[in-house]
Amino acid sequence: MGVGNQQLDFAEFYRSAADECLRTVLVSVGDQDTAQELVDEAFARAWASWRTVSRHPAPKAWVVRTALNTGISRWRRRHREVPVPDLARVADLPAASGASARLVDPQVMAALARLPARQRQVVALRLILDLDTARTAEVLGIAPGTVMAHLGRAMAALRLALQPQLQQENQS
Amino acid sequence: MNDNELSTAVRESVAEIHSATPVARIISRGRSVRARRRIPRVAGTLIVAAGAGLALPMLLPSGHPDSHPARIQLDAWTVAKQANGDIDVTIKQLKNPAGLQSTLRADGLPVNVTFSDSASDDFKVVQSASCRDYDLGLDVLNAVFHNTYAASGSALVINPSALPSGVGVNLFVAPHAEYWTSRTPAAAAKPLAPGTIPPHSQREQALMIEYNLVHTSQQCTG
Repeated sequence: MGVGNQQLDFAEFYRSAADECLRTVLVSVGDQDTAQELVDEAFARAWASWRTVSRHPAPKAWVVRTALNTGISRWRRRHREVPVPDLARVADLPAASGASARLVDPQVMAALARLPARQRQVVALRLILDLDTARTAEVLGIAPGTVMAHLGRAMAALRLALQPQLQQENQS
Repeated sequence: MNDNELSTAVRESVAEIHSATPVARIISRGRSVRARRRIPRVAGTLIVAAGAGLALPMLLPSGHPDSHPARIQLDAWTVAKQANGDIDVTIKQLKNPAGLQSTLRADGLPVNVTFSDSASDDFKVVQSASCRDYDLGLDVLNAVFHNTYAASGSALVINPSALPSGVGVNLFVAPHAEYWTSRTPAAAAKPLAPGTIPPHSQREQALMIEYNLVHTSQQCTG
């Protein structure tokens, strides 16, 4: 495949996968700017290694794993000094702050932010990226049984946190 | 509220989020990444196929000045020093950790190597009691260790020049639990449909290489 075709191939992959990957990483890290930067970097790395990534059985999972492993780039740390958000604090911030607050459900995001990081990652991969248990385990480097345990605990915690909200919505 | 309703609520909570970055910018950034030979990294753990004869792709220049030939290739593991100083380590069998350790030390890498026969899936870094963990953060870890995606056939690459003074490397290698297996070479020749997991009949035992940074000392890193 020529470079031009590879670029078209990658562009199509990016078009179809970028939003989903961004949402997955957003649920994992809790901050939209951070998620956008991590996903951009992961897609850039995917393009840099496109011959390999395009043959990966689950390229979207590759991108998300790379994004989660990357952390905030050295460049950004050096020049902008933006720390990785403390999710425990994010959860307590007023829901209306920031542009992304207008786009995400603040109560759901706050409930997600209170989950342990691993549970949040499992929720993101299983529910947003729609990976099965085996692939989720592979991406996170944990056993499939551990994925199911994390998901079960996360769902129980989310149900507890969100039940009043959903009941209210249903009643109104 | 059932699981479906809860799942829907989570999905809908971010459904309005869209990537704001044009693909042209991603491709431009990707070219920079490629130009700097930066490659995808996994912090801390690498899974490789055991016994699969993973090939290291580089050819090394003749007249290598180091104390041992630039490439040491045994059945169990391979060490190859690149012209830029990076050291490629491929481990295929859990044999002769002392030989691997002394080979890496001869390449100037302060390192402690441990092999375990016990399969594990907890990804807990194991190190000798004589070693002390040195947590310098992900940036330093990623500067020292990187790997091409395991399916491409290479393995762990160590960049000794990125090690700060007084910092060494700990490598722990063990078989992973059954789940972590790679496709056999014969099975790998047949492409899988996207999103599918190969059946167990197409898999073989995999090894897990865990790595972290440690304080250098005579007892730990030689």
